[in-house]
Amino acid sequence: MNFNCFRHLALAACALVATSYVAAQAPAPAATTAPGQAAEPRSINEWLMRMHEASRNRSYVGTFVVSSGGVMSSARIWHVCDGSQQMEKVETLTGAPRTVFRHNDQVVTFMPDQKVVRAEKRESLGLFPQLLKSTDSHIADFYKARQEGSERVAGVEADIVALIPRDTMRFGYRVWAEQKKGMVVKLQTLDADGKVLEQAAFSELQLDAPVRIDKLAQMMAKVDGYRVEKPGLVKTTASAEGWVMKTPVPGFQSMSCYKRPLAGQSGSDPMQWVFSDGLASVSLFVESFDAQRHTRESRVSLGATQSLTRRVDAYWLTVMGEVPMATLSLFANGLERRK
Amino acid sequence: MKPMTQHSELISALADGQLASEDFARALAACEADAQALDSWNTYHLIGDVLRSPELIPHAADTAFVARLRVRLSQEPVLVAAPALPEIRHAAAGRLGRTGGEAANDASFPWKMVAGFASVAAVAAIAWNAGAGLLSPTAMPQLARSEPAAQQVLVVSEQGTMVRDARTQELLAAHRQLGGTSALQMPSGFLRNATFESPQGERR
Repeated sequence: MNFNCFRHLALAACALVATSYVAAQAPAPAATTAPGQAAEPRSINEWLMRMHEASRNRSYVGTFVVSSGGVMSSARIWHVCDGSQQMEKVETLTGAPRTVFRHNDQVVTFMPDQKVVRAEKRESLGLFPQLLKSTDSHIADFYKARQEGSERVAGVEADIVALIPRDTMRFGYRVWAEQKKGMVVKLQTLDADGKVLEQAAFSELQLDAPVRIDKLAQMMAKVDGYRVEKPGLVKTTASAEGWVMKTPVPGFQSMSCYKRPLAGQSGSDPMQWVFSDGLASVSLFVESFDAQRHTRESRVSLGATQSLTRRVDAYWLTVMGEVPMATLSLFANGLERRK
Repeated sequence: MKPMTQHSELISALADGQLASEDFARALAACEADAQALDSWNTYHLIGDVLRSPELIPHAADTAFVARLRVRLSQEPVLVAAPALPEIRHAAAGRLGRTGGEAANDASFPWKMVAGFASVAAVAAIAWNAGAGLLSPTAMPQLARSEPAAQQVLVVSEQGTMVRDARTQELLAAHRQLGGTSALQMPSGFLRNATFESPQGERR
């Protein structure tokens, strides 16, 4: 029966509550951490690498809250890592019930309402540690890091690090990294005026929680009663599709390009071309122009995510990303048909 | 904690009808001997019932219908200059908004149940959830000054005007799915995206 997994979950969580209760009885370790942090400020790559490593080598259970564009979403998170393998479980507490499991770059989303499971591979997940280690990383050319003191978030003492853009083409970030190992416990996206566009944070966090990789793997594999969907994504290149970025946007590199064949739709398949500057990402969606659906060009702002639509000859372009609207315009203007 | 967990495991399997002969007998014996085991049995059935009740589960079709209704309402031309009309329209919008809010709260009820079991701390999140549910109706009635041509619902929020239409939501989901190429992805970007991947964005 499918409710089995929920029940087990409720159970597991019961056990966790019990342990956290016990943990809460133990005296909290005094916050007397290394005073030497002012001596050598970390570079932005060092900060990012540290944050990355911290999430890899830790087990935790927490409640994660994202607030964006006046909408608040939350989820319960289980994370475990045994050195080589990472497992994560995200169970939404708001909106439609969904449970997302991640095993390294394999992502499985359970949608109990529709009795559908979506299974996919996300290549982008494995991309960055290598990039940060290599000399190819251009993040430091476009952002700088500055430590801004410390604060307590979700019960842990955290360093506040501002990631400041060096030009106006990107947003800034403020990251709260737990002091001992650097795990990110809170993240803000800021516009040029320092206004918070989006905020994501743990409201409650239990570090080094006893999360078991085999239990999560078991739940992830339990798809009986569900229809398994695999996204019909076809890897391609923009040039193969007849598109070129005539005027590249500074700092943004092409990361991947996919076609997404849609059933029952005429014309060429929609294409998604993804760019990233290392922190922000931008998607260019190109589909055949349809006079009925594509009635007018628009600019939309959803928290940190901006989007603009535009007609390009026989095509309809949607540019979307966590960057200022002006940057999206640069993308839209730079795109050119080569066929 | 341990023996209780063991029993619960057993009772869970019993409730699922997964036990045979020896285990089955053991589970029954546990129910007889242990009040807590019997409690678990009842609780599991309660969880199951709540999760199974279709009335308590949100239907995408319903929310889509309400969204469409809102669009149509907003496109309704204001024909009469009678002073009473705006009031009626306003009231209608208010009622609609409230209905939407209740539905959202009701819909998440089974999840609150589970979450309630899941963690005491999750109570905080539920409070937020409920808060969001209460807040959204106040945001909703401000929607859509009538622009008949556009198949969009405009929602005015602090962040400016947002558009809610199925296609935008779909692209947004795709962007979050594939566009999450960021050095911050691993620490928190994935969690962020998984947390608020919008239900409307999922293809049916």
